[in-house]
Amino acid sequence: MSATTVTPATRCASGWDRFWAVALRVPGIRTWGPFAVLLVIWIAVAVSHVVPAAFFTDPLTVWNTFVSLIERGILPAYLGDSLVRLLVGSAFGLVIGIAFGFLVGLNRHVRKFFWPLLLFFQAIGDIAWLPILVIWFGFSITSVTIVIVYTVMFPLIISIVSAIDGMPQNLLRAAGSLGAGRWSQLLYVVVPGTLPGVSSGIRTGLGYGLRALIAAEMIIGTSGIGFMMFDARGQGDVAKVFVGMIVLGVLWYLVDALILAPFEKETVERWGMVEGVGR
Amino acid sequence: MSGTLKIDHLSQSYVDPYSKETMTAVGDVDFSIPEGQFVSLIGPSGCGKTTVLNIVAGFIQPTGGQVVVDDRTIESPGPDRGVVFQDFALFPWMTVEANIAFGLKMRGVPKSERRTRARQMAELVGLGGFEQKFPHELSGGMRQRAGVARVLATEPSIMLMDEPFASIDAQTRRVLQQEVLRIWSTQKPTVLFVTHDVEEAIFMSDRVVVLGNRPSTVQADITVDLPRPRTWKDVQSAPEFLRLRGQLLAMLGVEDQDQVEQAELDERSAEAEREGASGRELP
Repeated sequence: MSATTVTPATRCASGWDRFWAVALRVPGIRTWGPFAVLLVIWIAVAVSHVVPAAFFTDPLTVWNTFVSLIERGILPAYLGDSLVRLLVGSAFGLVIGIAFGFLVGLNRHVRKFFWPLLLFFQAIGDIAWLPILVIWFGFSITSVTIVIVYTVMFPLIISIVSAIDGMPQNLLRAAGSLGAGRWSQLLYVVVPGTLPGVSSGIRTGLGYGLRALIAAEMIIGTSGIGFMMFDARGQGDVAKVFVGMIVLGVLWYLVDALILAPFEKETVERWGMVEGVGR
Repeated sequence: MSGTLKIDHLSQSYVDPYSKETMTAVGDVDFSIPEGQFVSLIGPSGCGKTTVLNIVAGFIQPTGGQVVVDDRTIESPGPDRGVVFQDFALFPWMTVEANIAFGLKMRGVPKSERRTRARQMAELVGLGGFEQKFPHELSGGMRQRAGVARVLATEPSIMLMDEPFASIDAQTRRVLQQEVLRIWSTQKPTVLFVTHDVEEAIFMSDRVVVLGNRPSTVQADITVDLPRPRTWKDVQSAPEFLRLRGQLLAMLGVEDQDQVEQAELDERSAEAEREGASGRELP
């Protein structure tokens, strides 16, 4: 009896499975399908007016706002400002974070000294530094940069240290018994061996960095996407806020698709050290 | 090529990280291997056979005694003692060719020569055509072929093998045992071969050294009088092989190999736990 009730259900499920298997093979559906669903829900909510118009708006209005912000040159200028800040902050953050991560990870004495300090300062999250930074450096690019550097650094350091600790000991032993000295071991074994950790640290670090940038721009900014959004909030311009949110999402999507994912595909995925992120 | 190995009254104690007691794994292990001899080290699980190999490799320092290679006391790992690991320990980011050539690169051999020799070694171990593959694209058996090739590419006078076939399926294992003997015979380095497989120890070796329970000492040192080259087809029915197998299994106090396997599995996990808890060295 139970067998007869199960059969139609399984047939139905396998039909769905086949549908998805075919649908997901089309690249356009795979990438844009989820967004199309989101768009439909958005339109439905906007058209139904369950949320008052003062709090919510429809895709067309957002699109028109987007076009006008570009035509007036506001969005390109603000986006440019944000990108420069992100780039400068991330570059310093990556350099300092990677160097410091390896130093703390590899040297026992450095680690003993810095580990408690790292844990302490990690707790003082990015924007918690803003009040004191504003007192020291004013509403300046320096303050924003420091916040980004600070944010990018910590996840990077911590994931590099754990990648070094998690490296199979036999790889270092093998290198040593093949005649590799300390520096050769560092260059040919530790650096590539910790690449999965480094790349996931960069991913996390940059993600946090972008968020910190937007938060900093909202609080102390005079330009930038974060400033634009917070400014629009003051004017009650919901569409402009939405534009800012969408730009941020697209920006991260591009960073992932154009930089992070191809890098991982060529290195750690090719070497079979990690599975593709989110794939 | 020399390669005489003298294991001189080794002992190894450690402090248990949980109970804080001092445990003695290796009591007093003392034996020598003349140049070019293939010697297996077997013993009950937990007797410290791998510890002895790690000391010979220079990975860990003994609490007492010393290891002497050609009149020189061992203090650190070195290319004169190539190591083949149970988990292969191939570099995942290097192709098979780059893995095999790594030791030559460390020695400063020019690139074109490295490439030629790596290709020759790949051919010798039966990996011809797989030079540009990454380790994760190979089967376990092929990975260990690469592991052996990587060691022999530098022509070490001593090769240390730590249960090299333990994580390879039973059928491939027999093929690989014959293959490794064939490859070994081309260079004839001195070999210290750690295993818990009695049949494997007899098949591979000129001598089998048996360690006792911890704190371990050498319980027996048995010469294997079987002609080379050996194949499983000939060896498995040879009276000498059967006699030695019975003798060694009795020494280990078990009826058959299965009991050894189970005890070994239990011990491996305990050992891994200890190593993890006692910290690790970094370059």
